[in-house]
Amino acid sequence: MLLVQILVNGVLLGGLYGLMALGMALVWGVLNIVNLAHGAFIMLGGYLVFFLFTAGLDPLVSLPIAMAVLFLFGYVIQRSLLNLIVRSALLNTLLFTFGLDVVLTYLAQLLFSADFRTINPSYAGANFSVGAVTVPVGRLIAFAIAVALALLLYLLLERTRLGRAIRATAQNLDAARLYGVNPAQIYAITFGIGAALAGAAGTLYGIVAQITPYIGVTLTPKSFVIAIIGGLDNPLRIVAGGIVIGVAEAVTSLYLGPTYTDVVSFGLLVLILVLRPAQSLKIA
Amino acid sequence: MSDALLDIRGLTAGYGDVPVLTDIALTVGAGEIVALVGSNGAGKTTLLRAVSRIIKASGSLRFLGEDVLPLTPEALFARGLVQVPEGRQLFGRMTVAENLMMGAYRRRDRAGIDASLAQTFDLFPVLAERRAQTAGSLSGGEQQMCAIGRALMAAPKLLMIDEMSLGLAPIVVDRLLDVLVAIRGQGVPILMVEQDVFAALAVADRGYVLEHGRIVKAATAETLKSDPALQKAYLGSDS
Ligand SMILES: Nc1ncnc2c1ncn2[C@@H]1O[C@H](COP(=O)(O)OP(=O)(O)OP(=O)(O)O)[C@@H](O)[C@H]1O
Ligand SMILES: [Mg+2]
Repeated sequence: MLLVQILVNGVLLGGLYGLMALGMALVWGVLNIVNLAHGAFIMLGGYLVFFLFTAGLDPLVSLPIAMAVLFLFGYVIQRSLLNLIVRSALLNTLLFTFGLDVVLTYLAQLLFSADFRTINPSYAGANFSVGAVTVPVGRLIAFAIAVALALLLYLLLERTRLGRAIRATAQNLDAARLYGVNPAQIYAITFGIGAALAGAAGTLYGIVAQITPYIGVTLTPKSFVIAIIGGLDNPLRIVAGGIVIGVAEAVTSLYLGPTYTDVVSFGLLVLILVLRPAQSLKIA
Repeated sequence: MSDALLDIRGLTAGYGDVPVLTDIALTVGAGEIVALVGSNGAGKTTLLRAVSRIIKASGSLRFLGEDVLPLTPEALFARGLVQVPEGRQLFGRMTVAENLMMGAYRRRDRAGIDASLAQTFDLFPVLAERRAQTAGSLSGGEQQMCAIGRALMAAPKLLMIDEMSLGLAPIVVDRLLDVLVAIRGQGVPILMVEQDVFAALAVADRGYVLEHGRIVKAATAETLKSDPALQKAYLGSDS
């Protein structure tokens, strides 16, 4: 029974992991940028909602606000800076986003201090039981929102004119341009959506865990691993990838102890690179 | 001066400082199919790039009576100059229907888009059958149909097709040539760039022969087809 409980915890947390990876995978797939500041974007979303919460706003109300603010933030960064180097060597964009990550983390530490912050509305600590299994309400909400956002992203990409243009740009830049797509705008919108998803992830992360300026240090590589596991072009598969990691961490925590959970993602990453190097390189 | 749709005079263009094309003169009039033929590396694709304003050029370039030399590729596309690029350049993991809709990306007239789609499916019934299939899974001939269909979805006023016959069986090429005639019949003139000289001249009204970046011959298709020098240079292509 304990194992069932652990699996439930893992699946619920894994949905949120999937949401974290969603934005990174989207940006990676369309712009060929591995955004090393993605975890810092999640952190910013978390802080924004935390401060709105201390001002009396329920985090579920703030969630769309965080998404809108982060969208604008991402859009402006892409439009003003990243578009200048978007199709240059991978190293340039890695350096740029690494620098951005350092700056954002430093500013957060300066402005918000290194204290642990938690967004805890009444429902965050609530539970209910199904048989012998306890379901934490905060995690359940985070899971439901993560899946809903993945579904929305899927519909946006598959069913709308904008989504078609985003996929077309990712698949064949020259042809997209030939038929009137403006890549600079598509890139900025895509990067904005990636940041907005990070903002949503940060909100939910703040409900189920604690926010510090440094959470990006583990969340960026975790998102990276899940993006590789899930592949870059299907949001629903990425959420499934998040669930795989969530369950693997929960099981590891049970049998080896909680200190080993971070080893899981990186162990899996190494394993994938060793077993299917061609596949993962093709993605990259 | 002339009422040609596309009117090129004294055009020089190239990559960097080295000109690939020198002193090009070429026109396409309403209702015409014009063939631009020449061997590998003659500069055919370069001419299309210059006309689409992707690469630098100097001289005179007029489209629909307007001097379009200073315009961007986007602006020219918006005026109805639409290209089917060399190598088809489809969105391989998107469906046929989605590829076609990308042709209409800049259009907002729902009714007009529906009409273009109906017209495209009418010309290429196989595309209607395979609308839900990914473009990458089509045969070479079907891919070329999809690429031409995508261009038609942009409501072109002039269609430029680069190397349509490349890698296709003669029977497929013949079928596509028939469709080009049908497209012209619907009021869209065509500038086709071809290595397969006699395929192109089979449907063209006029032709230009490009060699080493210069137009060395310009005549009606009839004249060119019976040109002994041309027959000798491109022997074995067709009858
Ligand atoms: N991007 C480029 N940069 C520099 N030179 C180029 C470029 N593209 C083509 N060229 C050169 O311009 C010349 C003409 O090339 P172009 O592609 O226009 O020939 P083509 O007639 O279309 O040939 P093909 O039948 O093989 O398609 C060639 O000598 C080629 O090497
Ligand atoms: Mg060519």
